[in-house]
Amino acid sequence: MEPLTIEGHWNFDYTYYAGESASRFFDELRHRRIMGSTCPDCGRILVPARGFCDTCFTATTDWVQVGDEGTLETFTILSTSFPGLPEPPLVVGYVMLDDASTAVLNFVHGIDLSDVDAAGRRLLTRPRVRVAFRDECEGRITDFSFVLEPA
Amino acid sequence: MRPVYVRGSAVSVGWADRSRSLTDLIFDCVRAALGDADVTAAELGAVVLAAHDLVDGRGLTSMVTAQAAAAYLKDETRLAEDGATAFVLGDARVRSGSVDTCLVAGWGRASEMPVDEVSHALFEPFTTRPLAMTEIAVSGMRAALSLATYPDYDRHRAALAARRKDRPPARTPGAAWPLRTGELPVWSDVVAAVVLTSRPTPVRVLGVGMSTEPFEIGDRDLLALPALHAAGGQALAAAGHVIGDADVLELDGLTAFDEALAAEAVGAADRGAGMALLAEADRLNPDGGGAAGYCDPAMGLVRISRARERLLRGGRLALATGSSVVAAQTQAAVVLGKETAWSR
Repeated sequence: MEPLTIEGHWNFDYTYYAGESASRFFDELRHRRIMGSTCPDCGRILVPARGFCDTCFTATTDWVQVGDEGTLETFTILSTSFPGLPEPPLVVGYVMLDDASTAVLNFVHGIDLSDVDAAGRRLLTRPRVRVAFRDECEGRITDFSFVLEPA
Repeated sequence: MRPVYVRGSAVSVGWADRSRSLTDLIFDCVRAALGDADVTAAELGAVVLAAHDLVDGRGLTSMVTAQAAAAYLKDETRLAEDGATAFVLGDARVRSGSVDTCLVAGWGRASEMPVDEVSHALFEPFTTRPLAMTEIAVSGMRAALSLATYPDYDRHRAALAARRKDRPPARTPGAAWPLRTGELPVWSDVVAAVVLTSRPTPVRVLGVGMSTEPFEIGDRDLLALPALHAAGGQALAAAGHVIGDADVLELDGLTAFDEALAAEAVGAADRGAGMALLAEADRLNPDGGGAAGYCDPAMGLVRISRARERLLRGGRLALATGSSVVAAQTQAAVVLGKETAWSR
């Protein structure tokens, strides 16, 4: 007897509510501003801006625009392809933008990936990067990416 | 509070056995654990299960699978968490006196699912999923940060990879530089089960701990793993021991870098020396860790079971840990002692 196997597939449509703070963060991206929110207790500027500091369990207060340059804290080079996303290889990394207290994730461009090992070794030096916005911003995290500054 | 003992355990690791369904695999492993404990299903006072709907590809998966884990007409708790967390809850059930005997089980069958896609779906939809994040991507970032911070990691990773070279490449995740094949988990069909009891056995649960980090990975200390540091510290303090007393280390980590950093987080290695400890292998994950077979959310319970086995073979004191999705956000730690360790 041949053991039976059947194919399965999940494809549900969800509607996710961003809430007030994230909606404002994404709206600011449309205006080419990356915003952080300040925790009144620890003083950290949290990026992406959010409604509360989970470390202090306190509602954030002031919103501030953080710098458009920063340091690539860590990264990885991905070879996995996902529907609707750019084709690999992709560099994704966490960047500590100037004036921010937490790192923010995005794609990193401006490096030759024809030799992945060489690219990786270059990125291990924690280089400076700058924010580059798309021509048409639509209020999504993909409105911007990071571009490697010249060595 | 009553003392708690591990009375039996079992682990099964395989791949795509088409003759066995998921419930067959669970039934086989749970029955083996009950047999090891010399306990019948009827004697169980409670059952705690660790399973993920996304991993199993079944909505409310425990409704389908619980009976295979001896939960019929039982006091049953279902956790979408790592098996080590389920163990902590099972320990609490026995320790509090509410039940005498508790089964803890966890499973995941990687051969049935698209692992990278499921891992991608775990991330939140606004700021991380659109950027191709997966569990292995975070591990890749931890690895990059390790190499940038600790020069010794690069020196010892080759020795470790050589020890773990015999692996099926088709069962490893998509590449995330700087991770190499020998450092990646080997996806497997994994079931683990443990029987806890208030009646004395050679292996006693001396302490447990749990802790959780922020969800935002950009907020986390990816090298220090503060939740694991806290959980391990809690478990050791409850046991009245320090990490230097533990001759058995079974630390869960998705990749070799995660295992090495875990050793540092619990204090078993100095900062930057975790990879060297892992490469030596005798004290930490000698079965190969994630390279011996991996699938969430069973792995913390696998590490606990392996710790028990090592204690029964002559070990004295064990620290075992389990980490949850997303990207080891929640950590659970367990200290087990053999009779000679806790009866001094």
